[in-house]
Amino acid sequence: MRLTTTEGIAVEGVRRSFGSVRAVTDISFEARPGTVTALVGPNGSGKTTLLLMLATLLAPDEGSIRIAGHDPVVDPQAVRAIMGWMPDTLGSWASLTVRTTLQITARMYGRDVAQAAARADELIDLVGLWELADRPTRVLSRGQKQKLSLARALVHDPSVLLLDEPASGLDPAARIELRILVRRLAAEGRTILVSSHVLAELDELADTAIYVERGASISAERVARATSSARPWRIRALEPTSIAPALIATGIPAEAIGADGSGILVSVDTEQRAAALLGALVSAGVEVTSFSPATGDLEHTFLDLQARPAEPGDGVRL
Amino acid sequence: MKLWAGVGVIIGLELRQRVRGVAWYVLLGVFVVLIGIVTVLVGLATASFGGEDSGGWLYSLIIYFVLMLGTLIAPALSGNAINGEREAGTLATIQVTLVSAAQIVLGKFLAAWIATLAFLVASSPFLVVAAALGGLSVGTVLVSLLVLAVELGVIAAIGVGLSAILGRPLFSIVVSYLAVAALSLGTLIAFGLGGVAIQSEVRATTVQSIYEDGSDSYTCGPPTVSIYSAPRFDLFWPILSANPYVVLADATPPQFSEYGSPTDLFTGVASLVRAVQVPPDLSPEFDYCSSATFEPGPTQEETYAKTVPSWFVGLLLHLVLAAGALSWGIARTKTPARKLAVGSRVA
Repeated sequence: MRLTTTEGIAVEGVRRSFGSVRAVTDISFEARPGTVTALVGPNGSGKTTLLLMLATLLAPDEGSIRIAGHDPVVDPQAVRAIMGWMPDTLGSWASLTVRTTLQITARMYGRDVAQAAARADELIDLVGLWELADRPTRVLSRGQKQKLSLARALVHDPSVLLLDEPASGLDPAARIELRILVRRLAAEGRTILVSSHVLAELDELADTAIYVERGASISAERVARATSSARPWRIRALEPTSIAPALIATGIPAEAIGADGSGILVSVDTEQRAAALLGALVSAGVEVTSFSPATGDLEHTFLDLQARPAEPGDGVRL
Repeated sequence: MKLWAGVGVIIGLELRQRVRGVAWYVLLGVFVVLIGIVTVLVGLATASFGGEDSGGWLYSLIIYFVLMLGTLIAPALSGNAINGEREAGTLATIQVTLVSAAQIVLGKFLAAWIATLAFLVASSPFLVVAAALGGLSVGTVLVSLLVLAVELGVIAAIGVGLSAILGRPLFSIVVSYLAVAALSLGTLIAFGLGGVAIQSEVRATTVQSIYEDGSDSYTCGPPTVSIYSAPRFDLFWPILSANPYVVLADATPPQFSEYGSPTDLFTGVASLVRAVQVPPDLSPEFDYCSSATFEPGPTQEETYAKTVPSWFVGLLLHLVLAAGALSWGIARTKTPARKLAVGSRVA
């Protein structure tokens, strides 16, 4: 893969060890301006280490990184000027107020006192922390600290945003606000990379996804195979008991039909098969009210990749 | 970003965070009370000796007291400046901004220095009282204040440097205290042990008068030689020059009375340190017979005058230590980081 973009993020063959622990072994990907890219992987797969390297805090042992065309190892200042980073740890200066925290952060990006004050007010407005603006940050809840952390990452209006677990600790309303905000930031032409465990959340947020496993990005073929594998679909009808007999009538064995609290579950391998199945149910007179995948796209791919480890012949490069 | 703009932002952050804490004001209050007690006690003591112009003693004692408390407080204020921020997860949020590692470390150092100098400022009313008692020279005031401020800065620099070099806040604070103890007490112990360990043989020749029975006439007896060993403190005096109290005393212009004795504590300490530069006489002759006149030894002022000052050596050593700690600290705060200390975290 060639590094093609001079905007956005380009990562090729990046590797980083801590002593004998190989945190990142081989990650390559590109994230383009105007899109939200999800970084998906189990705990300890190297997501945070990768983000620390992108955020100019950690130097890679090997491989190359370009943030808007700048190398964070050679020219960290150029990267810092256009990159905003929201860490997974919610460190804040406990005795300072929300407003002061944002003002000082703006000053650290070279803004003068008046600019910093104006920017802090804008951001407090943007993330909805007016009521807490003049309270010390130690009184903030986890979700409120997340909002402060996001505001801090946006202080210098960065064109590249790195968000490490931005939704954790947020209540449902705040998650929706976050999603709308992140989509808006992307629509403004920013490059956004989001790591999260809340896969259902990422499904609605992200345009594309990079899957990492044991420090390496997973090949496109493996991702494609996992995406197209069988997954459970959830079916609901006005008369729930009418679903199972109709399914059996279409030739699905009884033991392949399950149920959970909100519907009947059946495993279907392709979208074509799902459409055909829905047609058959409707023709059989079942009054279907809901027919949808029981897992989100990202969750489905993630779970399938987890269940089927890399085969020896699989390339790990994109 | 311009160097001092970034340093200024960090100083502002640091002073807002730490100095506005309640603990700092409590310390400052306790400090003022202690200095007040010392001032009253020393004032009473000097008054009972009937001494006039006792301002020199009181002033030098207060300055020494500020140095002592300052060296006890500075490591606490500076010893977790960087790694404390790292533990709180806020160092990385500074490092991703346009503020450089040098600006972070220098800003933290200057803030710790300013916070420590506040203790000197808090003691100023008592220094004015001392000045009012008289006998204080302008040179003593200027030089001692300057050296005291520099020494407090050295401790702050060592503390901030160690907090960037060592991972754990508790560990770096303890090591800062050990550094202060090594300079303040360690130099005294090394000097004492060294002097006692290296001894030289002294061959003292004594001539006694021998009186004849029942008369005033006497003859001089044969010279007798006695052999004993003497500690060689003169070989180890340079160690003392690294002591901050000695630096302060030796740098201050000496103030002697008309009888050649010190009129403030700085001159007293400096005179003692200067006296150990004089090597012991390894073959003294004590003639109690022929030479009838008894010669008094040199006064402290005379000894002071013929020995060499050492304060600039000690001060230079301290400045090198401070600069070394800060530059090592800056190197360890630089990002992107290649090596990480064992057990440390990035963010």
